[in-house]
Amino acid sequence: MSLLEVDGLYASVNGEPILKDLSLRVEAGEIHAIMGPNGSGKSTLANVLAGRPGYEVTAGQVSFNDTALVDVAPEARAQAGLFLAFQYPVEIPGVSNMEFLKAAWDSHLAAQGAQPESAVGFMKRARALATSLGLNPEFLKRGVNEGFSGGEKKRNEILQLLLLEPKLAVLDETDSGLDIDALQTVAAGVNRFRSADNGVLLITHYQRLLNHIVPDRVHVLNEGCIVASGDKHLAEKLEAEGYAWLSG
Amino acid sequence: MAVGIEALQTLEAPPWLGAGGLTRCRQALGGKLVRETWKYSPLPKVTNALLAADEHQGPPVGALPPGVALHRFDELDVPPTLGIDLNRYPLAGIAAARAGAGWLIDVKRTPSHPLRIPAPALGVSAPLLVRVAASCRVDIEQETVQTTDNADFGAQILVLSLAADSEAHWAAAEFAPTADKWCLLQAHLQRNAALTLNHQGTVSNFLRQDVNIVLGGQGARLASVGAALVQDGGRLDQQLVIEHASGGTVSRIKQHNLAAGRSRCTFNGRIHIHAGASGADADLSNRNLALDPSAEVNTKPELEIYNDDVRCAHGATVGQLDAEALFYLQSRGLGPQQAQRLLSLGFLRDGLAGPYAERAAEAFAAHFTSA
Repeated sequence: MSLLEVDGLYASVNGEPILKDLSLRVEAGEIHAIMGPNGSGKSTLANVLAGRPGYEVTAGQVSFNDTALVDVAPEARAQAGLFLAFQYPVEIPGVSNMEFLKAAWDSHLAAQGAQPESAVGFMKRARALATSLGLNPEFLKRGVNEGFSGGEKKRNEILQLLLLEPKLAVLDETDSGLDIDALQTVAAGVNRFRSADNGVLLITHYQRLLNHIVPDRVHVLNEGCIVASGDKHLAEKLEAEGYAWLSG
Repeated sequence: MAVGIEALQTLEAPPWLGAGGLTRCRQALGGKLVRETWKYSPLPKVTNALLAADEHQGPPVGALPPGVALHRFDELDVPPTLGIDLNRYPLAGIAAARAGAGWLIDVKRTPSHPLRIPAPALGVSAPLLVRVAASCRVDIEQETVQTTDNADFGAQILVLSLAADSEAHWAAAEFAPTADKWCLLQAHLQRNAALTLNHQGTVSNFLRQDVNIVLGGQGARLASVGAALVQDGGRLDQQLVIEHASGGTVSRIKQHNLAAGRSRCTFNGRIHIHAGASGADADLSNRNLALDPSAEVNTKPELEIYNDDVRCAHGATVGQLDAEALFYLQSRGLGPQQAQRLLSLGFLRDGLAGPYAERAAEAFAAHFTSA
């Protein structure tokens, strides 16, 4: 049983077909990188997996931990262990980061039939994690992503990843807009998350993130389907030659 | 209009209204200006309630700190002028005629603690003028207090007069009083004076708030942040007029209102930049959430500018919860109802500030817990 199985997936956004016969398997313990030019369908794949409204699966199957995903609500996917790190994390003034994180964690525990973690214990854990990611713990008191810089928002996504301990992390261009220091911090967070029990689907434009997070597999997405797969050397080829050879 | 004109004619005008003051009020009640601002609220009903309500003449506040004095207007050698535009606020004249001359709180030295002034929910209160001397600062906290009387209407006039370089912070709160209410807040700011306003709470009655702030002196500043949860069929009608009468004046208005169930929110915020107000800087934002299809929101930000050298921004939004934010929360495991509750609370809490913010946040949370 694979952690994630995508078989012959077709998906549309606002009626426009984007993903076309996409198939992919991610096993526990693996990191897969999805690369591809703009408009190739990378973010669509991430959003389809997370169940974003408006992203319609028109054919094919997606299963996560041996459970069909297509008709499952976004919150149930999250509670089952699927995590999407947003390309553009949303700002929510008036809802503190800590309140939001605790509510999210409680929902995960409730779904597992477990008791909520004590507020004190959770806050201590969240503050320690924030510090380790180079985020001032004071950020936890502020509104969710409110007034955060681009780098701080991405670190906040990684903070959530580490706190919620999902089985599969889908990182949608988490490296975009990051300076070198932030990139290294984010990469360190992902490497810290990595274990034999979970998987990572890393969506990126650039090879630079893969200097810090070594993928087991690299896939090239073009016009909605995977056109090439290989090991980390495929990413190096893309970096050197670009995507032009895909159409050649 | 169906107002008890006979009752109006028997009222005796207080001195500050001046000769013919009540006559002007009577005429203004039928005028276009008043009709426009009472488009969404029942003026005849409120006027009649004002004429019928009990009156409160007692002192509005208990022991005062050193440097702060309380006087009845009619005990003063020279009664103060309230500076209320009766053509725009004729109910002020009627309320004053009903409730007596009024009270003056004279702040001549910065008090060591906030002035807590109860705002009776019921009856017509005599006008209260708070006069702050130059370079002094005062914090005023005013919570509407619900009494057990049988009356069902309250009216209140508060006037703030800020001398040069003085500061005032007025924080007011309403926590679901059941009586209907009309209130007027009038403020006049002289050179470099600063006023901060915070009004927040839950509204399940009819609440009409008239606010007129005159930034009269060079460099005077206003900052107003507020939030209201209108619930249980409540009606909130906020009418703000902010006048930039001098150069270099600054105003910042942020008001978040949420209408739940079959309730209604109305907000009309007008920024008036006078001809001599070069360098004025105004920003008005009113955001509204209509949580249910039966909720109603009316909002109208207005700019009236008579000077080219100004910076003005205004905006109003009416909407549902942000779909992107909803998905973000759901993608972290929160169910749709919990996500909606958190976003609604966040929207309201983003409009909270000042000493009542924590209690208001608790009142908002209680609403969504019980909903």
